[in-house]
Order: sequence, then C-alpha cells, then structure tokens
Amino acid sequence: MDAPLYLRPRVEPPLAALLADGPFLHSLADGLGSPLNVLLPEAVATNAARFRAVYRRHRLTGRVYFAHKANRSSALLRRLAAEDPAAVGVDVASTEELRHALGCGFTGDRIMATGPKDAAFLWLAARVGATVNLDSPGELERLSALVRAHGLGRVAVLVRLSGFEHTTGNGGAGTRLLSRRSRFGTPVRDMEELLSALEHNADIVEFAGAAYHLDTTGVDEKARALEQCVLFMDECRARGLAPHTLDIGGGFGVGYVAEAEDWERWTTALTEAVLGVRPPMTWRGHGYGLRNEGGTVRGATALYPAYRPTAGPGYLDEILSLPAPVLGRPAATLLLEHLHDLYIEPGRSLVDQCGLSLARVLDVRPADTDAGHHLVHLAMNAGDMSLEEHGVLVDPVLVPRDETAATGDGEAVGVYLTGNLCLEGDLITRRLVFLPRLPQAGDLLAFANTAGYAMDFRAHHAQRQPVARTVAVERRGDTWRWCPDEDYWPITPMGGAVG
Amino acid sequence: MRYDSITEAIGNTPLVRIDPAVHGLRNIDLYAKLEMLNPFGSVKDRPAWHMARPHLEADTGGEGTVVELSSGNTAKALALLAGMHRLRFKSVTNRMRVPEIKELLLLIGAEIEELPGRSECLDPTDTDDPLTHFHRALSDPGSTYLHTDQYFNPRNVEAHAEGTGPEIVKDLDGRVPDWFIACVGTAGSSTGVAKVLREHDPRVRVLGLVAHKSDFIPGIRTMDEVHEVGLFDPATYDTIESVTSDEAIDGMITLIRRCGLLSGPTGGAAYEGAVRQLRYADAELEGTGQRRTAVFIVCDRAESYLSYVRQRRPELLGRTDRGRSAVAVTDAEARAEGRVIDVHEARRWCAEGDPRPLVVDLRSPHAYAALHIEGSVNIVDEVFEDLLRGGLPFSKRTPVLLACPVGEKSLRFAAALTRMGHPDVRSLAGGIVAWRDAGAPLVRE
Repeated sequence: MDAPLYLRPRVEPPLAALLADGPFLHSLADGLGSPLNVLLPEAVATNAARFRAVYRRHRLTGRVYFAHKANRSSALLRRLAAEDPAAVGVDVASTEELRHALGCGFTGDRIMATGPKDAAFLWLAARVGATVNLDSPGELERLSALVRAHGLGRVAVLVRLSGFEHTTGNGGAGTRLLSRRSRFGTPVRDMEELLSALEHNADIVEFAGAAYHLDTTGVDEKARALEQCVLFMDECRARGLAPHTLDIGGGFGVGYVAEAEDWERWTTALTEAVLGVRPPMTWRGHGYGLRNEGGTVRGATALYPAYRPTAGPGYLDEILSLPAPVLGRPAATLLLEHLHDLYIEPGRSLVDQCGLSLARVLDVRPADTDAGHHLVHLAMNAGDMSLEEHGVLVDPVLVPRDETAATGDGEAVGVYLTGNLCLEGDLITRRLVFLPRLPQAGDLLAFANTAGYAMDFRAHHAQRQPVARTVAVERRGDTWRWCPDEDYWPITPMGGAVG
Repeated sequence: MRYDSITEAIGNTPLVRIDPAVHGLRNIDLYAKLEMLNPFGSVKDRPAWHMARPHLEADTGGEGTVVELSSGNTAKALALLAGMHRLRFKSVTNRMRVPEIKELLLLIGAEIEELPGRSECLDPTDTDDPLTHFHRALSDPGSTYLHTDQYFNPRNVEAHAEGTGPEIVKDLDGRVPDWFIACVGTAGSSTGVAKVLREHDPRVRVLGLVAHKSDFIPGIRTMDEVHEVGLFDPATYDTIESVTSDEAIDGMITLIRRCGLLSGPTGGAAYEGAVRQLRYADAELEGTGQRRTAVFIVCDRAESYLSYVRQRRPELLGRTDRGRSAVAVTDAEARAEGRVIDVHEARRWCAEGDPRPLVVDLRSPHAYAALHIEGSVNIVDEVFEDLLRGGLPFSKRTPVLLACPVGEKSLRFAAALTRMGHPDVRSLAGGIVAWRDAGAPLVRE
C-alpha cells in the first residue's frame, strides 16, 4: 500500500475540544440526523477581536463587516450583532440577507449592501440607513431615483472601483502588474461619469468613500489597489467631495491544513500522479487542473492554497504593512495620514474555526483490492459539504461510534468518500482520502472548519435528500450545551432557561 | 581581444579549480565553470543569443517585441540583445522577487508584466490560467511578438550542447568529468551539457539541483515546478536533490570569501549541493589511490542579490545602529519626557502665542497636500529623523508644535528634541485625527 498522504486539518482550541468529544457529536447526530452542521458562535467573536487588534496596532479606525454570504446562520450573525456597534457590522448581498441582518439585531447604520441589487434591495437598504456599496453609475441613478421618488433620507454610498492595472503611475515606468478581470466595480478610468453623478446627486447621496475587492491572494496587487484608491479619494477631495472611508473588501484567507509538509507532499504527489510516475490518487485520475502533455505538466492547479503561513488577521497586517508602490509609505500609514477610516469585509476568515459538518458512515466496501482502497458511503452529498467545490482539500476527522475499538486497530487506509445522491459524480472529494483506520458503518466523519462557504452555500434538496440542520454549541464547564441555530441569542444560556 | 560585437564575447568562459582546502574533498578535483563571466553576466547569455539570433538577424525594420517568461538573467540578456537591434523587450512573469533585478531590467529598457496572484475565491471550472492568455496574445494574427520560449525551445539546449559542454571537455584535456552538477531552471544548461558529456563518456554522473519546495532560490525551480518545463526530462539526471536558500547563501559566501569568485546564490547552491553529494563518493575513494573530477556551474554574480541576502541573512551585510534616533526613544520614555498639548490649547497657542509656534506636520507630502493645519510646514518623519542627526533647520529658541496622524510619532520626536535641549517642543495630542474630530480647520494645498 502507498504511504498515507494526509492533509490534516488545522484545528484550534474550541474546535479541537469539540472534535475530541465523540459521545457529544454522536448524540447530536443521533438526534438531529446526518448531515449536521455544528457552529461555535463564541469563536466568531474571538476572530472579530483579532481583526480589531490589527486595527489597533496600526491605530486605524473603522468597521469590520462580516460577509454574510459565507454562512446563513442566525447564531453567528446574532453573536456579531452583540459586539461593539462601532467596530463590527455586516455586509449583505441580497434583500433576504438584509432582512436577516436586521432581524438579528444589526441596526441599519451597521449594514453594508453589496453585490447585484434589485429595486427592493436598494429601497430597503436606503430606508434603514444602510451604506450602499455602488457597483456602477447605473446603480447610482437607480438609487437616486428611488430616494427622490419615495422621499427617503440621504444615503451613504461607497463606490466600488476596479481595473487598477490600467491607470498610470502603478509601480514605476515599464512595470505592469496584471490582475484578473472582475465583473464588479467601475474601472478607475471610467470614474468621471460616476463622480459627476455623485456631485449631481449630492443632496441624495453622501459619498462616503471608495471600495475595492480583488480576487487574489497577491498582497502586492492589493497594496497597489489600496494606494490608487487613496489617490482617487484625494482627487475627489480636490473637486470638493469629502470621502473619508476606504473599504478594502475581503479575501484574507484561511489556513485549512495544519502542516506545510502535508500540503507539499500531497501536491508533489499529485504532479507525479498526473505524469504517471506514481499511481493515481484521485477518482478516475482527476488532475485538479493539471494535465500531462508529452511528459510535461501543463495547466494550473485549481486548488485553494490550503496551507497558508499567514491568513486572516495576519494577512490584513501584511497588506497594511506593505509599502505603497508610488508613495512609498506603508498602506496603514497612508490611510492614517489621509485621515481615512478602514472598512474590511472578511467572510471565510471571520468564521475560521467556527464550525464543522458531520456525516454518518452508511456503508464501507472495498474499491480496489490490490491497493487496499475502499469506498466510504456517507449520509451527506457534495452540496452539503462543499469544500471541494471551492478547491479546498483537507482531511475529515474520524469520530468512531465505539471509541474503544478505535484504539486497537491503527492501520491507515485510503478511501473515496461517496455521497448520498444516485449520481456518478457525487463524491465529497475526488481525492483519495487517508484515514488512520478503516471506518465502520455508524461512525461519523467530522469535516472541520466548514463555516466559511462550505456548510450551506451549495446545500440543496435534490432527490429529496435532507438538508443539514444547524446547531450552535457552547462549552460550559465540562459539558457542551447546544440549541438549534434559529433559537440562539447571545443572551440565552444554551440548553437551559433564560437567565 | 578585439570584437565587432559584444555577442562575440559570449562563451569560452574559464574553468577554475576550487582549492581543496576550501571544499575538503581529498580525492576529487572540483572545478567551477564561470558562466558569470559572460558579457551580460550569466549562463543565460548563451541561450538568449542562440534563441533570439534568428529573429534578430531577420530584417524586422525595428518593428516588434521580443517576449519571454523570465524573471532574471534570460530577461536581462534578451533585453540587451533586443536593444542592440532596436527592438523592444517584454518580460511576463510571476516570479519577479528580487527588486534589484527588476530595477536593472527597467534600466535596460525592458517592459515587465507581472501576473496576478492566485484566486482567493476559487472557481474550479475556471482553468484559464494567466499563461493561457499570454499564449493567446502571442498567436494573435498580426502579433509582432517574437517569443523565445526558453522553457520549450530546443535552441536553449543546443546553445549549451554546442558551447558549454564542449568547452568543459576541451579544458579538461579531452576528458569528461566524473560528475557534472547543475541547478535546474529551464533545464537548458544541464540537458545540453549532459548530452555532450554522455556522448563522450556515458559513465558521467549528472546531478540536478532543485530548490526546496517551499523555498526560493533565484533561477532554480522546485521539484514540482521542473515538471512544467518542456525541456526537463528526468532521464537527464542520475540524481535530483533539493537545496535550501540557506545552503545557497552558505555556498555563495564560501565562493566569495574563500575562492575569489563573486558568485550569486544560484552558483552557491550548485557548489553547496555538489560538495554535499561528493562527500560520500570522496569517502569511498579514500585509500584507493584514484582521483576523480567534478564540474559545477557558477550561473551569475552576487551584486544583484543584496536584498535577497538582506532579507534572509541581514547579519552578513553588517546592519548596524545609526546613532541618535527618535526610534531609540522607548514608549515609556516618550510618555515621560515628551510634552503634549491638546487640540484646544494648541489652537490658542497657534493663534495667540508670542512667539507663535512653528507647526511641523510629520506626515507624507501627499497627505499634507491633501489636508493640513494652516501655516504648518511639512517635514516627513523620515527626513525629520535624518535632521535629528544631521542638524535641525530651526533654533532652540523656536517653540515647536509637532503633529502626526495620531500623536504617537510626534511624541517620540518631542521627547528626542527635549533631550537635545529644545525647551519648548510639544506634541499635538491625538494628532491631526483629533484636530479634525474637534472640528478645527484643515486646508488643502
């Protein structure tokens, strides 16, 4: 058999303690079924505090907006609503998310409306005094028309910029730093139209500042965009506008895999498997974007960098510390010196370590007798735990039904995790997953760190399979307390009476 | 020697024996092939000229752009060659990690396109990597790009099979070395040289060196990255080993400080990897009375890698303290010794003081131009820091109000000035932010 290629998950204290309590996880899944999502609302508050600490270190003011789209949970939103109103807000991308945020206790001034917006979304955002993150001049026209027609108050707006590589003065003559094309935002070179519309509608909209969100892990691209926004806001000031806020979006990242070594061994093995110099390690030889052309590997791995030495607050710190390409001062100093507030919209990174997804093992059978591989059939499908869909590869944790049996037999085994849909393609991951021993029917697999985009983003009712229930849990002394996600309030002791 | 063109000076580089007292191998003669002595400074001069020559000698009428995926020496050589033929050169890369090399390329007149980072919010169905766009642009009808394609172009290998390899054999009096050691970047030099050596004597052993996976050594690919190289064929090498950036710098220091060879980190990696590998063979030869030879390539020179060294081993560049410095004032000392003044008092001081204070804004000129306290002068903190050492442009009798964004840096400078004997220096409490929040006026340039 091949040496096991693990991708062991990074788990920190509250989540680690939860994973270690097998009987509790089994009792939850016994009562509530599989799949099941388990959330730790306290962890989201801890993460918000870590981001705030980076603000403090750089003496910056402004809010951390949770990107609601990362998770539908009420518990997470309500826990964040209980944080300092000046420090924590929520970024909503649909009318329903906006309604949910209001219902969870966020006042309108703590809400940022982003993404594609229809009339109802714009009206409700304007009505409750949310900040509207404008995508285009057309959206500004529609918003202004609504505000005028319905006598709504003045609305705070940010303008989302894009296309930074096309402007001049980006890092010296002769150098062009390319960026992926985005469908969102207004290119910097087309800002004139938007600016004159802002001036024209100054009685209707308050131009609060600029925003960007770049889909990249590259800090240099982000530092360049940040500086160009500062320069842009300066031009705005020169023509009499008074922007005071820069929203740098999200994308701070999460480290899913604990050890760099695991990640490096696995990705090297993938390259070798694609070249055919080692046995396939994926279902039907899937290459995750790599292909073999005459002995040379072509293509790029469509994988999230699952091991990240710096992610989340540390990554924000890195961006803020990076010298701006033109003005030379660190990004944080630029913001501070120009008296700008900083807004960020973390999603995935704000719910890092905030939850897990449980799946019951239904059946185990041999898949490849020579290699000793097995198929492990789970009461869950790829929509219920969509890390794979986001290119994140990380091992689940085996939570045996009978813990005494687990200690006896420690032979690692390679398995393919198959879902509960009657569909060839329904694999939880196309990767051969190594577990410390062969699971048995009745055991649970716990997928750690699924609160960001993986838990409910793609869950569906196809084939009338059940969608996961979600519960919030909290450690009280030696025991865990739980309640349904929708029943969680930050004032309620779980599993007991209101104090 | 007299030449009509600098390109004639490419090749015929020296083969220099490394003093055994340095490497400690008792039964093996170790030679360095000094590719750093090529006219543009590296081993890449050969393939750059060999690949570009057919393009450059064709009559282009000064039209067109030579393009290559290169972050270093190939780009440097091609940019110089393109310039000689009045063509433009563009480098497309995601590996431009050494600032001096980037600046040098800009100095030569190259255009640099840096590819974007990985997607954070991944769409696995989007397999359109940036290189696909690059190749599409090249094959556009009407494109005037001349792509040298160093990772796939057989002329890259040829340059070494016709030059580097035969030169080594000639300089060893027609003998083939027992070992040949090269770092693998495009695999051009190792493949070309290995081919020639094997033709002469199939017993030669070829050691390929790659960078440790999570590490970065300029000009060397990691174990995974070599598989993306079209010229790379695992059969070229008897052994492939990895080296770390630490080893590369160690080797570079040995070559520089002990051998008089001003090698860069790539040559250092080759030396260190060679000695590490040859030590075992040397032990086996002990007492047999046999002698063996080994050759490694010194790829380029040290000068362009000072920031690379500074980042990893600052002590090698002897970073020392710089005298009196506001940074040397601790937080506690700043609080104890710096005097502060709140916004309200500061406004009165500025309006009614006799004499009125000199207001120094320590922020960057750009921020100062955008908004500042009327009548203030702008001395950016870095300059102010230098002035503390070099001499201040105001007298000790001048009362001074220092302002920074939040009143932190200004407090340090206030403490430093007080120590230097300035009797009336105060820091604006809460800085320009507090000034603005109090509704006090700020003006634009």
